[in-house]
Amino acid sequence: MIDFARVQKELVECSKDAEGSGIKVSPKTDNLVLLIGTIPGPLGTPYEGGVFHIDITLPDGYPFEPPKMQFATKVWHPNISSQSGAICLDILKDQWSPALTLKTALLSVQALLSAPQPDDPQDAVVAQQYLKDYQTFVSTARYWTESFAKASSCGIEDKVQKLVEMGFPEAQVRSILEAVGGDENLALERLL
Amino acid sequence: MSMSTRVCKFYARGRCLKGEQCDFYHERKDDICPYFQKGSCAYGSRCRNKHIIKASQPSPLASSSANGRPSHFSDSVVGHAGKGISNWVPKAAKLSSPDRRVRTSQRKQTASVRNGDVGESSTSSAISSAHLFCTFAAANCPLGDKCSRIHGNQCLYCRKFCLHPTDRKEKENHLRTCDKKEKYLQALKDSQEIECNVCLERVLSKPKPSDCKFGLLPECDHAFCLSCIRNWRNSAPTSGMDINNAANTVRTCPVCRKLSYFVIPSGIWYSTTEEKQEIIDNYKANCKLIDCKHFNSGNGNCPFGASCFYKHTVKPGSYTWIHHRPPPQRRQNNFSMYEMLDMLSEVDLSSAEYYSIMRGLDFFDDMDPFEMMAVSDRLAGGSGPCFGPFDSDDEDMNFFRMAALSEALASGVDDFDPEDFDDEAFDPMETALISMMMQSNMEDEEDEEDSDEDY
Repeated sequence: MIDFARVQKELVECSKDAEGSGIKVSPKTDNLVLLIGTIPGPLGTPYEGGVFHIDITLPDGYPFEPPKMQFATKVWHPNISSQSGAICLDILKDQWSPALTLKTALLSVQALLSAPQPDDPQDAVVAQQYLKDYQTFVSTARYWTESFAKASSCGIEDKVQKLVEMGFPEAQVRSILEAVGGDENLALERLL
Repeated sequence: MSMSTRVCKFYARGRCLKGEQCDFYHERKDDICPYFQKGSCAYGSRCRNKHIIKASQPSPLASSSANGRPSHFSDSVVGHAGKGISNWVPKAAKLSSPDRRVRTSQRKQTASVRNGDVGESSTSSAISSAHLFCTFAAANCPLGDKCSRIHGNQCLYCRKFCLHPTDRKEKENHLRTCDKKEKYLQALKDSQEIECNVCLERVLSKPKPSDCKFGLLPECDHAFCLSCIRNWRNSAPTSGMDINNAANTVRTCPVCRKLSYFVIPSGIWYSTTEEKQEIIDNYKANCKLIDCKHFNSGNGNCPFGASCFYKHTVKPGSYTWIHHRPPPQRRQNNFSMYEMLDMLSEVDLSSAEYYSIMRGLDFFDDMDPFEMMAVSDRLAGGSGPCFGPFDSDDEDMNFFRMAALSEALASGVDDFDPEDFDDEAFDPMETALISMMMQSNMEDEEDEEDSDEDY
């Protein structure tokens, strides 16, 4: 049985500190089993500037079993499958501890982005490239970040800019854009 | 009416936070084992409730019909008589009784304490002494000098006028218990704030009173509720982990990953290491009073041996009493016999070696020696079961077969010591098997400690 009281607490705790860490967790559905986590790409890495979404599924035994986490955003990283987004991280497997939370787990994933472990790879192709041709790895990772992890958010920034210039308040623009899934025209209709 | 004759309403609803330090009467219905009343209790000496036959009380229905009184009245009378401390006197009687006589009887009682009569009387006077005192200070008592009770000095801790004016021993006694109460309450107050690191809730504010308990780890100072830490330690290892690793991961502190071998239940959190040690010592002392379910008064085999927390009493006539050693383990551990056979078949050994391993491990206790011989032959690549004792040229083989056969024939498996022919070199496979067994034994320990009764 999932301890929903704890999940609720974690979500509140996480939203309190969302500004500082940039890590967000929000429920996908009403039942708090499927969640979506968001982490910013760490600075000084090819993932800088990207915003990565992670699908979280809470198993029945949570918090005594680790949450299942998978990248929804495509990432080029030795420990993350470029196909499925599966993450190879010990604390999500045998090193899980019930004292860890969704937020700390996401922080660890973020740390994994900045410190790849090519000796224990999830994606052998990426790991090979990381070890043999680091420059190509960096440029590929950066290219993937640009094309998959930035598109929506960057686009949203542009749209927000546009709509704000039309004379709408920024906060309202942001919330409506989020609600309509980033569609500029729909948002404009709503705003009018 | 004195406080301790009034029933604690918190206790009645499940849990009084003050525990034993509560001033009100804790009516423990559960104290007396209901199963023992009916004839037999499955827990026997391990039962946490008292095994005494309740004195037969007149059934309320019968008494009410006999006396024509409302039943609750007669009940309450019976209840007071049963407690044996009828410490309040009806007002009319109190006023009319010449208080000199009351005073002298009190003096006699305290005198008997002073004379060093430490047994029964001192405890009974300790119980009743609280009720000898008037609730008012001497100056404020409406009865004035006519009051039948003692006018004590005010206690600094409980603010009651219950410090004996003359008896120093009484006074110190009271101050000591009050000090202890005060400390306990302070600890309880501090414990209210402590959050469990797993469920992130305040342990003492959990909805179910039975969950309001801490689980202390001896090796570190991280707070958990008892149910959370036990849940974690009993949780199934995540698939794909090897067993040794998994067992140790769940036995570590979730926060600092320090390995602790047992969990101590406690109603309060501690602030100093001395307090923690006291809680641990109390827990162990309490465990020592309960018979070990594995040892089973000498009829079982306790995997912890001498280091077991629970009481090992050898009952006359039990296995250990007769044979001077515990019976062989007959418990199936984590591995079944067939899994073990599969594992054994992976290594290349002679049939004698196989036999010796199988004989030494209790996974194969259920097999009879003939079957063991047959299996060891088959494992060693032999063509099939071979019962002829002298069909091999090898000297050692002959010895093995003779030993095995004589054992099989005697079928007194327990009288045969495996060490008698266990003369082969120490084998890595065997060490591995033994270490696995030890591992599963350790899990048993966990099991035992975690399934114990709460105090």
